[in-house]
Amino acid sequence: MIGSLDSHQKSIPVARLVARAGMGALMIWAGGGCHKVTLQEIAPEQIETTLFLIGDAGEPDPRQVGAPLDSLTAQASAAPERSIIVFLGDNVYPGGIPAEGAAEWADARRRLEAQVRAIPPGVRGIFLPGNHDWADETAFGLYSIRLQEQMIASLAQGRNVRLIPGNGCPGPVPVDVGRLRFIALDTQWWLHSYIVRDSSSRCPTITMAAVTAALRSEVNPPGEGRVVLVGGHHPLMTGGAHGGYCGVTGPYRRFGGSPQDILSGENRTMRDSIRSAFADHPPIAYVAGHDHTLQVLRGGRNVHYILVSGAGSPSKTECAVRMRESYYVTQHRAGFMRVDIMKGKGVLLRVFRYPATKHGALAYTRWLERR
Amino acid sequence: MIAARILLGVALAAPCLLSAQVAQPLPVATEEATPIGAIPPMPLPMPASRDQNYWGFRFQYGERNERAGPEDLFAVAGGVDYQLRGGSIFGLTGGYQGRRNCQTTSSCGHALFGARGRFNVFTGGPTVASIIGDESATTTLGTEVGFGYAPSVAPGVNACTIDAGVPFSIAMMQTVRVVTFVTPGVVWDVNCSADQTSHNRSGFVGFGIGLQQLFVRGLDVNFGAQRIFRGATGLQFGISVSWVRLP
Repeated sequence: MIGSLDSHQKSIPVARLVARAGMGALMIWAGGGCHKVTLQEIAPEQIETTLFLIGDAGEPDPRQVGAPLDSLTAQASAAPERSIIVFLGDNVYPGGIPAEGAAEWADARRRLEAQVRAIPPGVRGIFLPGNHDWADETAFGLYSIRLQEQMIASLAQGRNVRLIPGNGCPGPVPVDVGRLRFIALDTQWWLHSYIVRDSSSRCPTITMAAVTAALRSEVNPPGEGRVVLVGGHHPLMTGGAHGGYCGVTGPYRRFGGSPQDILSGENRTMRDSIRSAFADHPPIAYVAGHDHTLQVLRGGRNVHYILVSGAGSPSKTECAVRMRESYYVTQHRAGFMRVDIMKGKGVLLRVFRYPATKHGALAYTRWLERR
Repeated sequence: MIAARILLGVALAAPCLLSAQVAQPLPVATEEATPIGAIPPMPLPMPASRDQNYWGFRFQYGERNERAGPEDLFAVAGGVDYQLRGGSIFGLTGGYQGRRNCQTTSSCGHALFGARGRFNVFTGGPTVASIIGDESATTTLGTEVGFGYAPSVAPGVNACTIDAGVPFSIAMMQTVRVVTFVTPGVVWDVNCSADQTSHNRSGFVGFGIGLQQLFVRGLDVNFGAQRIFRGATGLQFGISVSWVRLP
């Protein structure tokens, strides 16, 4: 690698080298830096827990397991005892799990099975519900999400792989592993226009106010040095299509009234409620999918970072715009994010995108919490 | 780089579009005296989160040289902008325009004021991104409307302008954003101190290059130039430094 770099530089005129060096120094000064922390640079024994974040993976290729799922599997296999894979919703396109006997049932199962199989033995798997999992936002949604929960349990065959929050409940559901507290939310519950509970629901929270109050409590776990990440399918901020970008109609989609978009009133109510719950104890990151891109964003006052990792299906990747809040954006690339919670102190984010470039799949790294 | 070359080509071609005109009888033509002609153009605002509205502040300095008259013009201005839901922007401008080497005993300068709305029509970029090989490239296309007023440009002359343009910009790179932009448009100007109803109409093109998120997230520095296709109004160029307050 070093040799090839040197030979390349020799062919560049001095003026261009100076210009590049100047621009490079400018960019480093500007705050991002260019150094990517590779997998080899962190000793495995320094890592306490590794969280893999992949969203909108419900459209796997029916012919082969390709990137990014196979790459994620390989990385998680390296240390299964400390790895958690979180599927950030939209686990089954286009309409979640249908009733058994429907023509689409077998294919829906195939889509879910590809993801459950990507979780190596010994690795904990968490599936979050997305809008497509709620029967693509239709009246069958509550029943479809229950069917998905049952199917995941069946496919897991006793392994620690499950859909949370379960039973169509909104959450929050905390998962504590060492320093890490991961809080799962079902954000589609907030946006669904049809039935969200029935006589068999046993949800501890059944109103928006109760969910917000519970979340406010959960983001402040006991203990020193805790790392809190909150996960839901819908992002709190995005430069993608659901954020009103990427198209002539983008800024005006609010008039269409889709609650799936950032500019809609229902979506804003949900985001404001979630953010208000973070006010006293901002979590280190809110992680989501929904937009089929990879984005690392500055969260603002109530949350330090917002991560959008919805590029789990290579055939569904989309456009994303770099905003003022963006640290990193890539569009039309599949991939996933990896968050390493270090022992003692330090949280490292790495973004892997596919197809990989000549420099590899690692596209971006950032210390979310300095060591 | 391709985008930069295209913009440079447009800029170089602009003088060819100038038609021979009668020299301006005023020391400062009305279309040169208000913000549209006095201070440098800027690209459309960088997209931002739809969650917030943003306040921005800017300082601008512009010069207009190669004019028919003996005096070059300079202008300094400050402005405040309000970016609505991370997209469209509404701004107010106030400043001063002066004449270099001014020989007259009367005033050699005047105040200028303006209001401008800039509306994002399209913000995306995968097509351009694939052409220039930068995954983070963003293409922005919009419309803008501006109103300008400059009192006492010359004895008995107050300048009023209305302009409309179609700004287009391409931003590239991940950390410090390099943005190239071009804004073709039309400006209508009139001496609004008189009871006259006749007005002039001129085409113009603004263009330039800028650095967004320089050193801090909200700081942008843009270098802009502008040609008004009317008479020997010369070339205006200058620098704009703007800062957006992020929550």
